[in-house]
Amino acid sequence: MANILVIEDDDIMLKAIRNILGKDGYNVITAKDGKEAFEKLEQGEYDVVVTDLMMPYANGLEVVSRLRSDETKRSVGIIVISSVGNEETITEAFRLGADDYLKKPIMAGELLIRIRKLLANKNSKSQLITKKK
Amino acid sequence: MWKDLADLLFQAYEQFSLLPLFIEIALAFIFIAILSTLIAYSAILIKRYRGYVYDKRYAYISPKIEDLITEQVLLNPNLGKDLPVDDIEFDQEAINNRIYRKPFVRQMMIDTLIQYRKNFRGEVGELLRKMYIDMGLEKDSFAKMKTFRWERKIKAVVELTQMDISISDVTILPLTNSGNASLRAAARNAYIQLSKNEPFKFFDIATEPLLPWDQLEMFKIITTTKDIAIPNFSRWVSYSTNKSIVSFCLKLIAHYDQQSAIPAVMDLLANKDHYYRADAINCLGKLSAEVSEEKLVKIYNNQPLNCQIEILKALGRIASGKQLEFLKSEFLYSSNFDLRMNAARSIIKHNTQHSRVMVEELMEMTHEENQLIIKHCLNPLIKY
Repeated sequence: MANILVIEDDDIMLKAIRNILGKDGYNVITAKDGKEAFEKLEQGEYDVVVTDLMMPYANGLEVVSRLRSDETKRSVGIIVISSVGNEETITEAFRLGADDYLKKPIMAGELLIRIRKLLANKNSKSQLITKKK
Repeated sequence: MWKDLADLLFQAYEQFSLLPLFIEIALAFIFIAILSTLIAYSAILIKRYRGYVYDKRYAYISPKIEDLITEQVLLNPNLGKDLPVDDIEFDQEAINNRIYRKPFVRQMMIDTLIQYRKNFRGEVGELLRKMYIDMGLEKDSFAKMKTFRWERKIKAVVELTQMDISISDVTILPLTNSGNASLRAAARNAYIQLSKNEPFKFFDIATEPLLPWDQLEMFKIITTTKDIAIPNFSRWVSYSTNKSIVSFCLKLIAHYDQQSAIPAVMDLLANKDHYYRADAINCLGKLSAEVSEEKLVKIYNNQPLNCQIEILKALGRIASGKQLEFLKSEFLYSSNFDLRMNAARSIIKHNTQHSRVMVEELMEMTHEENQLIIKHCLNPLIKY
């Protein structure tokens, strides 16, 4: 069962994503802002992080950047969900290391498929690495 | 008892009338000040109490509503089974619960559903809409449309738009021309989003102006709404008597690059209003209407400054190369700084061998201020 950290400052969206992912069998941990997210990231290990962009204390781009600059957490899959749809922000998110970007309003089914794909990619990568070793 | 009170008041009045005038005035001021303070405090207390009651009710109801949406929509077992959304049924007992019959709760339900709809589209979004309809909440929104209070009407229009519920033309069209600017803007935006065939029909009847901020909002809605039927906006350029509608249509013509509208836009060059003409010239430039170049140059000398600047900009945007000599003479001999600046920018904008040679020549033959203008315009960081 994969561990997913959902970072979202909108209560409604946070609960909704938690329920959708929980229904699909994932172990979902939530954080309401960037600060809480950093604490949760320190405490646990996650397979995927689903993050909003506009949040108090630290925004989603900072979360992405922090994850990618940390050796131990570099392999975590990152999906950014945001209502910001301008090209600059999207490219910046990908440049920093996000794996996927979903613009709100999202489709629940699409989110699930993208998470599954991300996890499948991650698994095949780790299998390759162990084979090489 | 009442008699005693009346006697007391009468005695007080008698004593008051015996006082010197400035004391009477001071007492009157003190009385008014105390009374105003009491009224203000009471109003604040009442408002705070109402807020407290609302928060308490909200804290009690909100989790129930969220649970209902989670169970019936997000975790609906029929989601993802390729079933048409209309065939997915809700638990009737749950959605018809007594609690959801109270007007306050129904309004909260609508607000929460809208919040969810902002975050989810696809099957979940459609199911949220179905829940709104199945619970009869759209009737609540339509009832709000019939009230006299404009803010409630706006709320209703926004709710129905968010839930993608069509509103009949008879109901919404009069609101698009309402005297109240906020209601008018909300109704117009709703009409564009909800009307599938003729989203701009209200332009025909609009007598009230389209304010600049409303134009921005509407532009955003037009350009972001999916499957919107874009008409030929020249129809309103030719026939509308509403200046703001014509001005807005010119911007839309340029945005959608409606080349077929060029003749209608060129007709506006003969209009008496120079703001109209400036907008039309701007539109022709953005359409790169080469056919209009000669006419623009011909009318140039009879135009006010704003139109002359627009003509110079337009010639730079069209950049056919035929008017380079005209731009050069304007740059060299105009006494107005803005005109020289725009002429220089337009020459540089051509970016052809001929224009580059011309710029070099101008740099050599012209005076210091003009050379500074050219250097400024050649800076690639300064956008044109």
